[in-house]
Order: sequence, then C-alpha cells, then structure tokens
Amino acid sequence: MSLLSAEGLVKEFGGLRAIDELSVSIDDGELVGVMGPNGAGKSTFFNCVSGVIPPDDGTVTLKGTDVTGDSPESLAHRGLVRTFQNTRELETMTVRDNVRLAAPDQPGERTLPALLRSGSMTEREAAVRERADELIEMFELDHLADEYSSNLSGGQRKLLELARTLMLDPDVLMLDEPFAGVNPTLTREIADHVRDLNADGMTVVIIEHELETLTELVDRLVVLQQGRLLVEGDPEVVLEDERVIEAYLGGDAE
Amino acid sequence: MSVLDRLPSGHGDRALIAGVVCLLVGALFALTPLRVQLPSAFYVFVEVGILFVIYGILVLGLDLQYGHTGLVNFGHVVFFAVGAYATAMLSAQDTFAGIGLGYPWPLGLAVGVIAAAILGAAVSLTSIRLRGDFLAIVTLATAEIFHSVFVNFEDIFGGNVGILGVPRPIAALVADGDTRLVATLLVLGGITLLTFTVVTRLTHAPYGRVLRAIRADELVTRSVGKSTITYKTQAFVYGAALAGLAGGLFALYNGAVAPGFFTIQVTVTIWIGMLLGGAANHRAVLAGLAIIMGLRLVSRFALDVTPVSSDVFASARLIVVGLILVAVIRYRPAGIWGDAQELGVDQ
Repeated sequence: MSLLSAEGLVKEFGGLRAIDELSVSIDDGELVGVMGPNGAGKSTFFNCVSGVIPPDDGTVTLKGTDVTGDSPESLAHRGLVRTFQNTRELETMTVRDNVRLAAPDQPGERTLPALLRSGSMTEREAAVRERADELIEMFELDHLADEYSSNLSGGQRKLLELARTLMLDPDVLMLDEPFAGVNPTLTREIADHVRDLNADGMTVVIIEHELETLTELVDRLVVLQQGRLLVEGDPEVVLEDERVIEAYLGGDAE
Repeated sequence: MSVLDRLPSGHGDRALIAGVVCLLVGALFALTPLRVQLPSAFYVFVEVGILFVIYGILVLGLDLQYGHTGLVNFGHVVFFAVGAYATAMLSAQDTFAGIGLGYPWPLGLAVGVIAAAILGAAVSLTSIRLRGDFLAIVTLATAEIFHSVFVNFEDIFGGNVGILGVPRPIAALVADGDTRLVATLLVLGGITLLTFTVVTRLTHAPYGRVLRAIRADELVTRSVGKSTITYKTQAFVYGAALAGLAGGLFALYNGAVAPGFFTIQVTVTIWIGMLLGGAANHRAVLAGLAIIMGLRLVSRFALDVTPVSSDVFASARLIVVGLILVAVIRYRPAGIWGDAQELGVDQ
C-alpha cells in the first residue's frame, strides 16, 4: 500500500497551472527522485503535499488518511517533514538551537511547565540535547554547534537542515534540491546519509537537478513536465526515454 | 558562546529572590510603624523610580512580543490604559465623572489584567495571521480608537478628567509621605522583578526557543511541527496582560486615571527604551528604559541651571533623545547590549 499519494492535484497561480491533474504514489520505504525542467511544477508539488500551500483540487493521502490542505505543523506531527529549495535556516539561532527546536513532545514548549520548570521539561530537554548533539556530530557540524547558522556555508546549511528534520524522526522525508550549490564531496556525503536513512526504513522523496547523483541514489524517478507526470520508473530506463531527452534537451529551457 | 544555551539554569531566580525581598521589605514599611525619611533631593528619584518600575513591566511585555517573537506592537499603551481604566472603574469609590463601582481593589486589578488580555486576544484574532506590518497598523489604530473613546464617552470613562477616587492601598496603610513612597517603590519594584522572573523562565525554556524560531522564520518553525499561530497569540496576549497589570498598578498607585497618562508618548518611550538597550534581552530592555527615563530626570535638574525657557528645554531634550537613538542605530543597531547576530542586524 502506498504511504504517501497525491491524486489529481491541481494548483493554479493566476491562470497558470503550475501542476495539472498530477498523481504520484510513493510506497513505504521507497527512495524516489522527482525531476523535470524549470517550471515543471516540482516545488509546487512539494508545497501542496507538505501543506505549505493548499491545492486547488485533488487529494493528498498519508498513511491512509486524507491530509489534503493540512498545515505543515500537523503534517510534521503525522511524520512528513520537508526541507526547502533555498535552505531556510533560523539564522538568528545557533546550530544547536536549530536542531533542538525540532524536537517533538517537549512539555517545556507549553507555558505552565516552562514557568514552573517542570521535571518533565528538564528530563525531556536532556534527551533532546543528547539527540541533537548526536545528529550534529553525525553531520560533522560539531565544531560549529555554537555558531549562529547565518555563519554557515551553503553546504553546511544543507547538512543542518537535514539534521533538523531528522530530529523529528520522520516517516517521509521530502528533500527539495539537497545538492544544489553543494560541492562534490559534500554532495556525496549527503547522498550517503540519504541512502543510510532509507536503508533504515525512511521513505525519501528528492527533487534534484543534479541528475547523476540522483539516478545513482533513487529506486524510481518521477519526471514532471508542465505540471504533469511525463514518465516514471526505473532511473536507467527513464533517462533513456525519448520524451525525457526531448524535455531536457530538445524543448526550450523553461 | 551561545547566549541561547541556557536551560536548565538558575537565571531569573535571583530576580525571584530579589523580588520577594522587595515585597517583604515594602510590606514591612507598610504594615509596621517603621518610618523612613528621604532627603528632599531624593524625592524625585523615588517618584521617577516608581514610574520606571511600572514602565518596566510594560517593556518586558513588549519585548516578549517584539524582541522574542518578532510581533510589532505600536499600540502597547492601549493595553496599559485598558488595564488602568478597568481597575479604576471597578474599584473607584466616588469618582467625579464616569463609572466607579467601588468593588475591592484586588478584584479591580484582576479584571484590569483580564480586560487587557481579552483585548490582546481580540487584536490577535484579527491580525496575527496576517503579515507583520498589519499587526503594527492594527495596534496603532486600536490605541488611537481607545484614546478617543476614553476622551469622548464622558459618562462612562470620565472624559478628559478620567476616573478619580481610585483606592490607593499603600497610601491607605501609610500616612507618612516619605515612607509611603519608599514602600510603593519597593512593592511595585518587587512585582517588576517577579515579572522579570516570569518572562525569563518563559524565554529560557524550550517555549522561548519556539518564539525565537518564529521571529527567525515562521514557515520553518511550522514545518518542524510547531503551531506558530498559537505561540504568536500567546506571546501577544501575555504581553498585553502584563501591560494590563502595569496599568492596574498605576491606577492603584496614582489614585486616578485620565487619557493624558496614556498617550502615544508612553508607547514611544518604551519602544525607544527597548531598542536602545537591545531587544530580546530582558536586562537590556530595562537598562535602556532606565537610560531614557534617567535622561528625563537629569534634564529636570538641568532645567534649573539653564537660562532657557522650559519649552525650549523640552524640545532640546527631544533632540538629545533623537540624536542618541540615531547614534545607537548607526553604531549599535541591535541596541547597546543587544546581540547583533541574534537579532539579525549585523551587516
């Protein structure tokens, strides 16, 4: 059974159909790549699925529940977490706080436990700190842990964003161009992390332009064009598909 | 070193202890025949000090909204005013104009806090989902609307005269003028310190981490599962309730409320104090407020020795305040003690 599925999604921006009757289904434990030329609707698809913008039509189903139009925070609670194309760090917070923030179930995020310094808050915070430090170390950001994240390089920001999302221990991880603007070494490192996470059972959906890394990484490629599903299937097969070659090389860049 | 790496720590507990000590000593003066005598030069310091601790509660609430959560409230005085009027109208014995219900003052104070919180919730409901600048406009407008209402509905709010005959609990206990002033300063200062403890505990806890995350990027905060609307509403309502508390205390200290006490000047003073000291830092905002109010004090003395008229002097003081603000924003954009990186104003 599919873990996450979009049925007939439509989103228009002022008469322009960014996505048009788009249906994509993702199975539990899959590692899926989403590609397509600029303006194909990849990010809009992500935005509609992750609750950032509500779709005009169609349904999104997560673990068998209709979650169409649910807020990003409610989807995060249901186990779907995403990153953003232009990394969005909480620049005015330290690396540590960026990661710790994402911890779920912290009673200290409510007024009364915070005011009373409840034991449950302190206890939970100790666990949160330990887990956050583990993730920071795993992504080799430990030497930057107390820096404000505005001081991080582009690649380090991608790592931090990944660490922050993992704090939530999601079932579905949606990565919007995780390799964009990242040097080859770091790209390999991020790809390795993604592969490991997937091997541990996390379902991952990736938008990416870096085709070489993407095709090596994913089980299945979904190619979008002008808001519609063009081709999907095994990466090797998809890349040989004439329609894909046409979309990428033959047609105009937009 | 990160300033945010602070839980669980003892910060704020010193303020808690100091606050309780202040309250106890204040109570000692109020309830025993113990008397103090102030040198006459000290008089004005204590009076301005009392206003400072009341405004201190205002600036701590505003900083919770703006400094920590990024909510722009240009009408903070309205919550101060509503708290003051509600307290005054509920507890005033025989007011000259307007309504005075004569209930016990603790009830009045409680209603003052609740009324300000309700107004805060109403403003939040209408504006907090919108982009930040809308909240700024709505709060500014709300303050203006209430100001006209207080002035024009004379039968209810007493017009320009306001509500008189508000009970003064400390004055009722202490007949001696000097002792009364000192006791008032200690009791109100103690309450300000307790407020400091409350906001410090909130902002140092994971709760404050969520608030700062909202200030940094609301969408990211939502995408990691935090219901940001709830937090923004809470921060706004808490700030409003604190302003209501300050208003109630002001009414019970002053014995009367009138529109003249609640002009936009109050909002401007606490904003300048907050920005001057450094937003998102409780001690800094209080220090900034102290500078602004201290300047007023200094100018009071300076007036005696300058050859210009008081009008000219008042304008000159505004110019000085303006120049200081320009200099701070130019050279220390995060305020004197503010953290430029935390406030995102470096470069």
